[in-house]
Parts: sequence; structure tokens; C-alpha cells
Amino acid sequence: MLQKETKPKHYQKVIRADRWARRLITFGGYGIIVSIAAILLFLAYQSLPLAKNAAIETLFTFPASRGPAKALVVGIDPYQEIFYILDESGYIQFYKVAGTEPVSQAQLPLSGNEKILCAAKGSLASDLFAAGTDSGRIITAEVRFQLDYSGEGRVVIPSLSVKEVWQIPAGGDTLPNHVEKLAFSRNEDGSRFYAWVDHQGALWVRSYDADEEVDYLHPLSQYPGESSVTALTISNHGENLVVAAADGVMRWFGLKDFEKVALRDEWSISNSPVTALSYLLGDQAVAIGTGAGAVEVWFPVRTPSNLMKFRQIHSFRSHSAAVAHIYHSARNRDFLTIDGEGAAQLHYSTTGKTEVQFPRPDFPIAAGAFAPKSDGLLFVDAQKRFTLFRLDNPHPESTVKSLFGKVWYEGYPGPEFVWQSTGGSDEFESKLSLIPLIFGTLKGTLYALLFSIPIALLAAIYVSQFAPFRLSRIVKPTVEIMAALPSVVIGFLAGLYFSTLFEEYLMSTFVLLIFLPLFFLAGVAAWRAVPESYRMKIRPGFEVLFIIPVILIALQASLSLGHPVENFLFGGNFQQWLYTTWGVTYETRNSFVVGFALGFAVIPIIFTVSEDALSNVPKSLTSASLALGASRWQTVRRVVIPAASGGIFAAIMLGLGRAVGETMIVLMATGNTPIIDLNPFNGFRAMSACIAVEIPEAPVGGTLYRVLFLTALLLFIFTFVLNTLSSLIGERLRKKYARF
Amino acid sequence: MEMLQKDMEMMADTAHPEIPAEFFALAGEKIVIETTDLDFYYSAESHALKKVNIRIPYRKVTAFIGPSGCGKSTLLRCFNRMNDLIPGSFLKGKVLIEGEDIYKNGIRLEELRKKVGMVFQKSNPFPMSVWENVAFGPRVNGITNKSELEEMVESSLKQADLWKEIKDRLQASALDLSGGQQQRLCIARTLANKPDIILMDEPASALDPISTGKIEETINELKEEYTIVIVTHNMQQAGRISDYTAFMMLGEMVEFDTTKKIFTNPKEKMTEDYITGRFG
Ligand SMILES: Nc1ncnc2c1ncn2[C@@H]1O[C@H](COP(=O)(O)OP(=O)(O)OP(=O)(O)O)[C@@H](O)[C@H]1O
Ligand SMILES: [Mg+2]
Repeated sequence: MLQKETKPKHYQKVIRADRWARRLITFGGYGIIVSIAAILLFLAYQSLPLAKNAAIETLFTFPASRGPAKALVVGIDPYQEIFYILDESGYIQFYKVAGTEPVSQAQLPLSGNEKILCAAKGSLASDLFAAGTDSGRIITAEVRFQLDYSGEGRVVIPSLSVKEVWQIPAGGDTLPNHVEKLAFSRNEDGSRFYAWVDHQGALWVRSYDADEEVDYLHPLSQYPGESSVTALTISNHGENLVVAAADGVMRWFGLKDFEKVALRDEWSISNSPVTALSYLLGDQAVAIGTGAGAVEVWFPVRTPSNLMKFRQIHSFRSHSAAVAHIYHSARNRDFLTIDGEGAAQLHYSTTGKTEVQFPRPDFPIAAGAFAPKSDGLLFVDAQKRFTLFRLDNPHPESTVKSLFGKVWYEGYPGPEFVWQSTGGSDEFESKLSLIPLIFGTLKGTLYALLFSIPIALLAAIYVSQFAPFRLSRIVKPTVEIMAALPSVVIGFLAGLYFSTLFEEYLMSTFVLLIFLPLFFLAGVAAWRAVPESYRMKIRPGFEVLFIIPVILIALQASLSLGHPVENFLFGGNFQQWLYTTWGVTYETRNSFVVGFALGFAVIPIIFTVSEDALSNVPKSLTSASLALGASRWQTVRRVVIPAASGGIFAAIMLGLGRAVGETMIVLMATGNTPIIDLNPFNGFRAMSACIAVEIPEAPVGGTLYRVLFLTALLLFIFTFVLNTLSSLIGERLRKKYARF
Repeated sequence: MEMLQKDMEMMADTAHPEIPAEFFALAGEKIVIETTDLDFYYSAESHALKKVNIRIPYRKVTAFIGPSGCGKSTLLRCFNRMNDLIPGSFLKGKVLIEGEDIYKNGIRLEELRKKVGMVFQKSNPFPMSVWENVAFGPRVNGITNKSELEEMVESSLKQADLWKEIKDRLQASALDLSGGQQQRLCIARTLANKPDIILMDEPASALDPISTGKIEETINELKEEYTIVIVTHNMQQAGRISDYTAFMMLGEMVEFDTTKKIFTNPKEKMTEDYITGRFG
């Protein structure tokens, strides 16, 4: 009776406990899946904007038709509140964005009916420009935007200040001298560089040295008659002038030396005359637009004879009419090309990609400008109508090609995989190829596995199959302790201590690599020669004790032979020999060191997992093999290892995963140079280490920041694929060999 | 129970006649395996075989019977030195196979085990194909010639009565065979080594009657060419297939004689009790 009463109660309890346990376990399981998915999603979310194309949006457009005069220069303040236009009559009108009437206006000091023929901006940081007139004067002026917080909120107050009015030298005839074409630049010292073409077609350069307050004037005689100048550009820091002529000849002049202009390179563009030219940010690359509408980027490349020669690097989507204007961004390597029919395109030099095609306006565009932060573009057409576009292009430098393909960067001899995310200045062309990082990770992993797989597997085989129980009982936990060593400690020791030790005993190490197997084999031979009656006295598994003195002898021999060998084979200095013979520089923290350190971290994993797998091969199988007359080694090789192959495979994959993801060791034990070179004597930069090194310096939301997230995503996918592959293949191997 | 235990021990003491009974029984037989005062210890405390003296005749089936834990398997494993694998175990006395002391120095275990094959209680095919299983022994013993191996595989499978059933599945995994087939495969695998002696430790204990029957048939055919020592708990089986039977008890050899004698007219009462199923 009693039982009948208690049983249901008891069962209810069991059932309830059961249900709770199940819920908890289910929760845990799903929790893990959800958090992994969340990490994956977060990484993808952070790196996805890299794939976004440039987007434009028309912010406003309106006619501001004060007079029919042609617009020459337009510009806008950094807050995109006030923009200005300079027209050929010398008027500068300031407009409020979204207003219709000019808020103020100013005029350049022109005399009578003097007209401006050409104008050029000359500074990355401010609205400085030079205007050439039909009376042969060059007027340098600057538009300033002052911020006034005295009233309600921020008010931008524009003003014009004229810096200089300068008369160009008179020509040979009586006509008033014209400035037909003009290029202008002011460098950070305040020195100014002007290049212009007068009405006789002669090209002049004027450099104004701000330190000495001296002017230098250089007539350049290369351009008579037929070969008149069609376009010219001065680099942002005033050191270079590139001039295109009607006969297709391009010339590059160096203006660095105020006192003389040096012709640095001369080349021809065959197809069609160059109609527009502009140096891009960085002062290396020149964007070229031709009469046929082609758009190209050229920059100087070092030739084998150590000369700098301009070469065509990229070509972009062409226009259907002659390119009339090229403007470049002051923030990145974006540039804008505008053709005579009013079509405009936005290109990115580094990637060779045409990013935006602007909607075609009703009238040809007279002038355009990048907003100072490159977040907007301003156009003014022949009817003096304005259009302001918002430009959303946060990561123009990252494309699939620039992340994973070879890119020809400025100053490089050819297309290469390069990782160099930051440089000295804002004008630095960031090089974000992930290939050197992926290569570095694979290289580190390769060397680590080359070192650790043989040791770990042999140790696992010995411990599981041959070692006496008492020995394996000590070895196994010791190796497990090795796994618990913080990787920062291993990296620290390897980077600071072991690397120098290795460098010092480099030769001895190599000698040891040869001596160890030799001595080992000799030791085995000697062991064989020992009469059997003595050998039988040693318990199986303890033979290993015999080999320890052999190893010590090999070690001693290698240590003492290191120097003689170095003297004999490598003329006394291996590093020197390496450099002169193979052109390889020896880095102290090289791949050997990392392979060793990383291998040290990987060995416990491979050892533990494969030792388990080997030990779990049923005794019945080994007995069967031994009973068939197989030796112990034959049994291991033919039965135990195949049967444990699934586990061994999994062990290696786990080791691989660890090596791929390991950060501290590769960070501390290599020089972190992102080079692609399998050579073991230099270092590498692994993906994980790169993330660790660079994420603190990467501005949140910037391209580097997102590229690092992409790297993390790749690492994640990499390990994910590795693990999935290892389970799949491991499962198949287990199905094949391990159904006991 | 206690009474019985005491009884048995007393009888065991008296079961040592001056001249062993089997001396007469084995008249005319050629002796292949001979032990003299064989003591086996799993450890110093665990004395598994006590002064065992047995002589096993050439090309006959000898069955070991006895209650569980009496040391049959242990004795069997002394014949191919499989006990060597047990750490801490040791042995006293002598085991001669074809007149040679197999525990003396300089014996190559691989050769001994090739000569003295073993079939285990639980079938233990390797996780390989049927063909590889059978060819395993010849291969580890240095035969690489493919046609020679083919021939050995075929003849061994035929001898083990398995050829007809699986000749089309030689490349299939051995683990896909039925339990009985697996055990016969293990027999074939042992036969492929061309042993002189086959030790079988309860080869049919885990099998159904039909498979058991097939194994027994196989054994009957094999005794023409091989010396077979078999451990069995199945009295009928021992009666059916063996020529000689040894009855063991608590690590001692109680009685050894022709099967007919043991089953019809055993000298020891203990043997009779065991055979008639009064204990065990
Ligand atoms: N590996 C071992 N280590 C220690 N003792 C063992 C070992 N194997 C067997 N023994 C002991 O030795 C004795 C004899 O065992 P053995 O396996 O030879 O008996 P058996 O006659 O084959 O029994 P069964 O009929 O149940 O197979 C038993 O007491 C057993 O506990
Ligand atoms: Mg047994």
C-alpha cells in the first residue's frame, strides 16, 4: 500500500528533474549556436560596408543666374552651407545652400573690361586659387570661410582676400599678353608655383620662394607652334609639373629646385591629344583625359636603370566626348572627370574603378569641385545652375580586387600584394591586400605543423603503444600541463630569449638536425649489436633510456661543431652568406623561431587527442595482429594507426585550427613584416597578429577598421571550415576504420 | 557449496598418480606441445596456473574444459606467448613446442606466433576489407607477391568454408560480415599464415547454433592438417569435435585423456561431476 502511494510522487519528481535538465541542456546547446551565429553576424555586419558601392544623392539644384558670365571656379565650405562661384568677369558670388539669392559678393581687382581666361585652385587645405586674365595678369586670391558662433548657432561668413596681382612678362609683339592656360599650387611653406601658357603658346614657370621671398621665372622652350600645350598640372606640393602637348608629347618637369626646372621624363601618348590633366593626392599619379574621352592614370615607375619613367597604370570607363575637366579629392584618390557634353564620372585611382556616373545635366558643366571633406560634389553648368550631390563613399580603397588581388601601387615597380595600412601622412595610399596576411598565417601554420606533427604523433605512438605504464603515467599529464602554458609566455620566451639563442647556435642547430638521426640510427645499430641476453634484461619500453645518452652526445657534438662548420661552409658568417648568395636577410625573429614556439603550443593538442585515439584502439585488434606474427611496430603501423586515423586526423586539424588562430605567439615571436616569402629565415605577419596590432589604431568605422573585421571574419570562416572538414573527414575515416 | 569446494580440493591433491594417465592414452601419438611444471602468475598474488603438465598430440583436436576462471585461456595463451603482453606477469616451468623451449632467450616471437596461430573468443577482424584481413598475416611475414597472396587468400577462405559465401565481396569491409562469417574469417586469417598449431579460445561461444555448426565442421576438416587446441564450455561440442580432452580446475590440470574416456568413464569424480553438469 505504502509503495503505491509513494511511487507516483517519486516518479513525478524524477520526471520534473528530467524535464528541467533537458531544458537546461537544450538552452545551453542553442545558446552556443546562437552566440556563434551572433559573432559571425556581427563580424559580417562590421565588414559588409566595405562592399558598398559609392552612392550619390542630389541634395539640391537651382539656377543662380546672375549675369551670363561663364563660371570658372566653384567651391564650398566644409559644412556645406555656403558655396561660391568665380566667373570670367571677376565676380565671386556667395550663395547659401538652399537659398536662391547670393548672400554676398566680391570682385577681383580687374581693370576696365579685363576678363579672366583661366583659373586654377592651388591648395589641398583651403580655397586658394589663381586666375589668369586677358591682360596678362595672374591674380592670386583666397576664399575664406569664417565661423561665427556669436549669434544663434553657427554662421559661416565667407570673404575674399586677394594675395597678389602679378604681371606676366611681355611677349615679343605689341598685343596685350594673355594667360591662356594656368596651373597653380602652393606648398605648406607658402611657396607658390605657377605654370602658364601665354598667347604666343609659350610655356612659363614661375616659382616663388616664400623663405627667401624671391621669384624665379623660367621660360620653357619646348612648345613652339604645332606642339602647343593642351593641358598642364602642378602637383599639390609644387614639386612636379606635367604638361601635355598637341603632338602627343608629355613632359614631366621637376620644380623642386627653385632656380632651375629639370625635365625628368618625356613620353608620347599616341592616340588622341590630352585635353585635361590633374595630379592626384599623393603627388605621384596623374589623371589624364583625352580628346577621345579616355580616362587614364599614369605614374612614374622606377626602371631597372634606376630612372623614374611615367607609365600608364589604370584606365577607366571612357567618356563619349573629350574630357574637359579633372578635379581630385583632397582626402583620397578619388577624381572627377567631366566631358564637354556635361557627362561626369567619379573614379578611384588605386583600384582602377569608375565608381559613379552622374546623371547628365541639360547643359555642359562649366566647373566642378569636391567638398573639402570629399563628402559632396558641386557642379555648375553653362547656365550657371548649381547641383550639389552628397557623396557616400566611405571605403573606396577596398574592392575585392584590392583586398585579394594584385594592385599596382604608386611608387611600386609592378602590381603586388601589399599590406601597409597606414603611412606617414594623410596622403598615404593605403595598401590593404589580405593576401600577405593569409600567407603569413599559412606560413606560420605550416612551420608549426612541420615541427609539431612528427614530434606529437611519434610521442603519442610511443606513449600509447610502447611506453611502460609508469612512464606514460608521467608523460601524459606533463604534456597536458604544457597545453596550459599561456601563449603569451611562450611568445615572450620565443621572441626575447629563444630567438637570440637560436641565432647564436644556428649552425649547431643545423648540425644537430643532421646528427640527431645519424646518431639515433647508430644508437639503434649499437643496440642491435648488444647480445640478446643483455637486451632481454631491459623491460620492453625502457629501451628509450638507452637513447638518451646518444642524444646528449649528438647535442654536444653539434655544439662543438657549429663554429667549424660555419667557418668551413659559409666563410665564417652564415647570415652574411645567406644574404650574398640568396639575397635573403636573416631576421632574428624568423619563421623557424615561430614554428618552434607555435609548434610548442600545438604539440599538446595533437599529442593528447591522437594519444587518446591510439589508446582507444581495441586491445582485441592489437592482439589479433600480434597473434598473426606481426611485430609491435607492424601492428602499430598496419592496425593501430589506420584504426585511429580518424582521431589522428581530428588531432591534426585541431592543431591546425589552434595554429591558425593563435595570436600572442605569432605576434611576439615574429617581426610581423607582411611579406610573401616562404623563406624560413624571415618572418611574416599573421592575420590574428595583424588584428591585434592594428585594431587599437584603426579609427572606428574607417576602412582599416572594417578590413580588420573582415580579416577576423575570414579567420572565423577559416577555422569553421577547418573544423567542419575535420569532422566530416574524421567521420568518414571513423566509419571506415573504427567500427569495432 | 563449501563442502563441495573442500571436496574438490582434496580430490585435486590425490589426482597426481606416479605415472600420468595420459601417458597410456597418448601411446603412439606424436607430441607437439609439452609443458613441464608450468606455473603462471598474473602477479605475485595471482597464481593462475599451478604445475600444469600436459602433452598435446600432433594433428588432433584437443579440448580444454573446466569451470570459468580455471585457467584454460591462460594456458592457451602460454602456447603463443600472448601472456607476455600482460605487464607484471611471469611464468615458471617449461613449454616445449616441437621440442623447443619457447620461453628461452633468442626465440623470435613473430616466428612462434606465425607457427602457433590463435582464434579469439570474440571475433576481431581488422577494419579493412575481407581480402586485406586474410592477407594480413602473409604480408607482415614478408610475402608481397600479389598472385601468391591471392592464392593464399582463396585457399584459406576455402578451408574456412567461407569462400562460397563471400567470394564476390572480397573488397567489402570485414565489419559488414555477419558474426559467424567474421569468426570464420578470423579462422581463415589464421590459416593464411600456414600455422602448425591453431589455438582456439571458445571460438563459437558468441554464435548461433548454425554458425557454431559451421565452425565445428571447419574444425573437423582442419584437423587433417593442423594440431588444434580448443577451449570450450560446450560439453557436446567438446564431445563432437575433440579427440582429447583436458579438464582443468582452479589452475590445475585435473585430468587429460581421450575424449571418449573423459566423457564415458572419467577417472576423477570431479570430472564426472563437471561433465554431467552437477557443477560448473
Ligand atoms: N589479464 C589478467 N590479469 C590478471 N588476472 C587475470 C587476467 N586474465 C585472467 N586472470 C585471472 O586468471 C584466472 C584464470 O583466467 P582465465 O581467463 O584463464 O580463465 P578461463 O578458464 O579462460 O575462464 P573462462 O572460461 O571464463 O574464459 C582467473 O582467476 C582470472 O581472474
Ligand atoms: Mg577464457
